[in-house]
Amino acid sequence: MSAHVVGFVGLTHLGLVSAVAAAVKGFRVVAFDSDPARVVAIEAGLLPVVEPDLDRLFREHRPRLGVTADPSALRVCSVVYVASDVPTNDDGVSELRGITELIDRVAPALNETAALVVLCQVPPGFTRGLSAPPAARRFYQVETLVFGRAVERALHPERFIVGCADPDAPLPGAYRAILDAFACPVLPMRYESAELAKIAINCCLVASVSITNSLAELSERVGADWAEIAPALRLDRRIGAHAYLTPGLGLAGGNLERDLATVLRLAAEQGVEAGVVAAFVRNSQHRRDWALRMLHAELLDNKPDAVVGVLGLAYKEDTHSTKNSPALSLIAGLTPWRVQVYDPVVPASTARHPAVVGCDSALAAAHGADALAIMTPWAEFRELKPADLAGVMRGRTVLDPFRVLDGRVVAAAGLDYATLGAPVLRARRRA
Amino acid sequence: MLEHLNPRPARPSRVVVLGAGGFVGSAIARRLATDGIASLPVTRKECDLLAPGAASRLGGLIRATDSVVLVSAIAPARAAADVTANVRMGEVVCQALGNVSPAHVVYVSSDAVYADDANPVTEQSCCHPSSLHGVMHLAREVMLRTSVKAPLAILRPTLIYGAGDPHNGYGPNRFRRLAAKGEPITLFGNGEEQRDHVFIDDVAALAALVLTHRSQGIVNVATGTSHSFRTVAEKVVALAPRPVPVQGTARKTPITHRHFDVTTTLKAFGTFRYTPLALGLERAAAET
Repeated sequence: MSAHVVGFVGLTHLGLVSAVAAAVKGFRVVAFDSDPARVVAIEAGLLPVVEPDLDRLFREHRPRLGVTADPSALRVCSVVYVASDVPTNDDGVSELRGITELIDRVAPALNETAALVVLCQVPPGFTRGLSAPPAARRFYQVETLVFGRAVERALHPERFIVGCADPDAPLPGAYRAILDAFACPVLPMRYESAELAKIAINCCLVASVSITNSLAELSERVGADWAEIAPALRLDRRIGAHAYLTPGLGLAGGNLERDLATVLRLAAEQGVEAGVVAAFVRNSQHRRDWALRMLHAELLDNKPDAVVGVLGLAYKEDTHSTKNSPALSLIAGLTPWRVQVYDPVVPASTARHPAVVGCDSALAAAHGADALAIMTPWAEFRELKPADLAGVMRGRTVLDPFRVLDGRVVAAAGLDYATLGAPVLRARRRA
Repeated sequence: MLEHLNPRPARPSRVVVLGAGGFVGSAIARRLATDGIASLPVTRKECDLLAPGAASRLGGLIRATDSVVLVSAIAPARAAADVTANVRMGEVVCQALGNVSPAHVVYVSSDAVYADDANPVTEQSCCHPSSLHGVMHLAREVMLRTSVKAPLAILRPTLIYGAGDPHNGYGPNRFRRLAAKGEPITLFGNGEEQRDHVFIDDVAALAALVLTHRSQGIVNVATGTSHSFRTVAEKVVALAPRPVPVQGTARKTPITHRHFDVTTTLKAFGTFRYTPLALGLERAAAET
């Protein structure tokens, strides 16, 4: 076990996952949150976030993980990460007051040699603008948390991007030791470069997703299938095997939206042409409503008493987050119709609908439905048998934007199948 | 983009329709009558918005509990003088509404406010009119937005067709008249341009929904389905008493298309249905 003690401040998604990752790497961890109730729950093993492997790793490495609501406990730490999630408003703009207040509260509790590392998503200029601790012990580190894959990415980062007051100065020994434990490249740079690097990564991902969404929509109209096109693009070295080429229902989760909002704000302040970023935002808004438009075209325009089943409320699989969830947006647009929903984690009460009915299984949500929309690609939905769906559904329409099911099997079961990036596959009707 | 102050529809106490003598205004007045909603149709006869003292005369007609629909316009505004006159009419209405703030104001604008290359058009599309008609409507929208204290809804209909349309612009109405006279329909190029055509009764129905929901914000009035002018011409010919030729001409201008993303309407009025083009043309033919 390393002699270095690592502190984490703010035990929401980022902080909790990062603290567990540090413990897994052999460091003693002091995990602080200013909310005593949250600390009590975490101490009892009731983690406030859902991530694959998180509960197991927390339990296994619990002896090295101290959880506290007392900031003075951070005094033993060589390095303290400020890792609280930064909330965004409806426009995707970060609300930074909470993080600033948190830093002001914990900075006096650190020992005189400890480094403070801002790990949360902050705009360029934030870290340099902090008043404490001194710049030589103050850093910003890019996080690349992906909801649903947060533990995997925290344990196996591609690289560490570290913002410093002086990129040429060596990092403090304890901080360097912690980073080295993850065995990946470390890229020191000035604060503002690191803060903008985080945004740049997300903007590049959004660019790929946005052009994918536009071309997937075109595929739906001209008879192409994006699933046939994407593999060809992945073999192009200029695009890459891991490029974001899977069409989706706009941006969700809050982080990508936050970075676009930051770029637009900074570009406006600095007089930089950023029309393409505004286009990403428009594209996201347009694609989010794909399911609503498709339901109207396939069913609702001709069936005023339609029942719609919705599978999934989380914005993606393996998370409880519903921030900008396309499923919730869809349900809000289905007010005149009866809606039956099922999500393995998120309760039906999250949906804004006057008469939403929560179900205890996917098949129950499909029962009697005229259309079924699989809005979150939870693994358990892949186990659904189209013949079973056809057996319980009243209607024939299946919307499966993320291709959870095999469209050909769905059509063979007598159901119409609509997905992103391909024309609607009509049911094979039996003579 | 459209917020309902009445989540459940409720009849306004009275709707004052300014421009009730025109194609769109009269359709809205008819629809309100059908729905049993009290209305005060105002034509140029009751209040000429360009006459001296029009603002005070109009103010005398409007009660604080009224909903007001502004359709009055010299349309299409082709010349600068038309724009000036329309803006003057807008100014008069703003003055009147400033004196007697009503319960709700609905302005029937136009999709001409959008940039020509906005595609698909949404309510968030850039307003960058290329025509005087679009400039006029955008100016009136801004005048209303900045001066009216009541909840304001702006309807931006695309190309409207119907039996009573007095205009003879390129599209369904002209095609119908030519076919009725047994004359050939001449297309620009081969009529490749795609446009969204909305039936007059749908414009009136949507205005009634906006009124009963006391909606505020912007909504485009478009079906979401665009057709080429050749398709429209062929549908018109199919309904004509005797066939007429549909003929192309040498193309002089580039082909442009206009499509609408009507998600705002789907969200705001989920059960509202636009009349499909073929059915609308049939109805227009039957009413002629």
